[in-house]
Amino acid sequence: MSQPHQLKEREIVLEARSVTKRYPGNVALDRVTYRIYRNQVNVLIGENGAGKSTLMRILAGVERADEGELFLDGQHIELDSPRDAAAHGIAIVHQELLALTNLNVSENIFAGRELCRAALLVNEREQEGRSDAALKRLRKPMDVKAESGRLSLGYRQIVEIARTLDQRSKILILDEPTSALSTSEAESLFDVIMDLKRAGVTIVYISHRLHELLHLGDHFTVLRSGRVVGESLRAEVSRQWIVECMSGRKETDEAIAPGRAATSAEVLAVRELTLASVADDEAAQTALHGVDLSLHAGEVLGLYGLLGAGRTELVEALAGLRSIESGEILLRGKRVQADGVRGAMKAGIVLMPEERQRDGLFPDLSIRENMMMSAADGLFLSREAEIRRVNELAAELHIVARDMELPVTTLSGGNQQKVLLARCLLCSPAVLLMDEPTRGVDVNAKVEIYAILRRLAAKGLSIIFTSSEIEETRALADRVLVLCQGRIAAEFTRDELTDEGLFAAASPSIVSSTSNLRDLASGHTV
Amino acid sequence: MNSAAGAVSQANRAASASARLVLLLLRARAVLVLFLLLVLFSALAPEFLTANNFSILTKHVAITALLAVGMTFVVLTGGIDLSVGSIAGLSGMVAGYLITQGISFGGSIHYLPVAMVVLLAVVVCLVVGALNGWLVAKAGVAPFIATLGTLYIARGAALLISNGKTFPGLGGSVTHGSTGFTAFGQSFLLHVPTPVWMMMALFAVAWVAAAKTPFGRHVYAVGGNERAARLAGIRVPRVKMVSYLFSALCAALVGLIIASQLEAAHPATGESFELNAIAAVVLGGTSLMGGRGSVTGSLIGAFVIGVLADGMVMLGISEFWQIVIKGVVIVLAVAVDQLQARLQARLLPFLAQTGIEGER
Repeated sequence: MSQPHQLKEREIVLEARSVTKRYPGNVALDRVTYRIYRNQVNVLIGENGAGKSTLMRILAGVERADEGELFLDGQHIELDSPRDAAAHGIAIVHQELLALTNLNVSENIFAGRELCRAALLVNEREQEGRSDAALKRLRKPMDVKAESGRLSLGYRQIVEIARTLDQRSKILILDEPTSALSTSEAESLFDVIMDLKRAGVTIVYISHRLHELLHLGDHFTVLRSGRVVGESLRAEVSRQWIVECMSGRKETDEAIAPGRAATSAEVLAVRELTLASVADDEAAQTALHGVDLSLHAGEVLGLYGLLGAGRTELVEALAGLRSIESGEILLRGKRVQADGVRGAMKAGIVLMPEERQRDGLFPDLSIRENMMMSAADGLFLSREAEIRRVNELAAELHIVARDMELPVTTLSGGNQQKVLLARCLLCSPAVLLMDEPTRGVDVNAKVEIYAILRRLAAKGLSIIFTSSEIEETRALADRVLVLCQGRIAAEFTRDELTDEGLFAAASPSIVSSTSNLRDLASGHTV
Repeated sequence: MNSAAGAVSQANRAASASARLVLLLLRARAVLVLFLLLVLFSALAPEFLTANNFSILTKHVAITALLAVGMTFVVLTGGIDLSVGSIAGLSGMVAGYLITQGISFGGSIHYLPVAMVVLLAVVVCLVVGALNGWLVAKAGVAPFIATLGTLYIARGAALLISNGKTFPGLGGSVTHGSTGFTAFGQSFLLHVPTPVWMMMALFAVAWVAAAKTPFGRHVYAVGGNERAARLAGIRVPRVKMVSYLFSALCAALVGLIIASQLEAAHPATGESFELNAIAAVVLGGTSLMGGRGSVTGSLIGAFVIGVLADGMVMLGISEFWQIVIKGVVIVLAVAVDQLQARLQARLLPFLAQTGIEGER
């Protein structure tokens, strides 16, 4: 690993100055000044929703900032498109790989910038030659004519990096590159990154996985809720510093009343739940291996895990959205038939999805119609009854809207989330599943939603929520199950819960069995 | 509340009221266009506004309106039904065959009563509709392709029934006990043609279903966000199936009305009717992307198309120009629809302003 340099010797290659980006109902970046140092591995850390991906999309020309400026080598630049960014030598490998799975490796490497002969025909031979050269430089030679859809995710990543290499990118942004990779794939990616660094490329590296960051990083920046909350060199960075910066624990420590011990009756039992892995082009499904869990009345159970750990798969399987391979789901001792969402809903298990725009809301319909969607049954709708129910729930959940007949898109993120919560509650569920309950909502709405969920739990509703945020997991859960690569890796009660313990249990490369997790939890470094 | 805040909220209310008015006018544009056309043709052609002409006009409109109202649900789910013209043709041919040829079994030919004939024709068409629904909802075929296929299948079937010939004499014969079919399209009730009654009845059913039943809400939900609809516990395949069945039912009635009016069933009946129906739906403000629109809009759209066509005939405009003008109107309608969508998106935050204010 390289020697740590003095800060003054470091040269800023790219700087985002006072960048602000707003989304409806949410400020993603709030006057962020972010510096990238030449020929270093610049690590950017933060929880989901901290604004990392937004910042990177701005640097890569995918999105424009509402306010603020970008400087490359001290020169002011404007980036209107990824093409502009590429022209300035900035390239990004996205978290969701954008590989064109129907094209072969070299076609992917040259997609959108095909080499032409006589200004018309694609010069395949030269494309293949240059692809081959780029892959060899990465020490990952492969058949450049292979269809990229057949490649593993790790190799697709290499193809994307080869693409940036051929473009002679000076700055390479890697957004959670290891989230979908196996351990060995990740390790060979680290070799590639070190090679690139030696070749003079500046790397921006985003990840949740602490041991990776500590292994690779030269310069660390921490984002929280759209602001830079910490900057430091490798020599001065410790696990504890990162975890504290990320979670900002001082602010919210003990903000929520402690939950109850799970002494009440068991409501939900899951035994040996197994789900096959699917490597679909669109959405890869993590396999679940023999997951057991039990949930008591009025209990709030947190599912913590990194990206791709299988959290979403687990709650979606419980909600009837995914067909399970084996295992059983028992609700109050009775087996829940696996006949889709409606069956689960009727039985009393309801899911509030993670991506509310994609999976939850009907943008053309009113707030009232969105809220009443799952409750609509029978032959005719009663507008009066609906208005009554909607107003009751709006009061109970503090949904602030001018008029319930306006489209749901007029609401802020937090209020939209509460509309979905209201929809779930109208099904009068026994078990409420929430996938990332506060994704994309502002801090105040977060606190409000936590309070609402606590209140619901106190009334006897059992809740399972998934989260990739430690802060949220600590604030909300009575008990936490940590998922890692489709398995339950650890269980913590509220008293046992520590930030480091959660992190350690969720990190794949160091988990072998639950027994040695407690060692890791007590501050063992990798 | 202090006076300054009161003044602000009053200004907001006034501004949002005018925003609402603009949106209302845009949404009601099909009615405005219809009104303008009526005024224009009444001024230019004196005989346009007579009771007799109006009776003819509404009979023409009833055909397009039935198809358009039926198609509306399909389009609201994000689909399209290209097969309605062929289904209309098939329905007429089934009825024509049964009335003139009867059914032969046990060595002799039996003629069915007219009610039975109508029922059988409708059932055959519903089978085609069910095929559409199955292909789209279960087999995952794109609606455009699925219904393009059934367009050919139904048309081919209609041609096969008579080997391409016309069945004349659908008045039936007293000896066979097969008379009465002409009443379907030619009779009057309270001086209003029966087809117009049928149009009104189906419109009423469709309107209630769209606005007042869970099914209607599910249709909008499926078209607005299919993934979310599934997650909200809506049986998406069933909603689509019912939509295609309703469209086929309306098309079947159209085929029967035309055969009854002509007292003959021709296998080419209904060719390119689907295009008129789609045009009416789009003119009525229903988005081809699904999730947005109304049954009332489709009815008004059908009137616009019908009035435009009949009015131009009365003015003696060349048939070729009529086609061009119809095309221009459709393109304009969709362009204005896009304008409305964009304007609406810009006005909405404005409408919700006080809501955001209250949140702080």
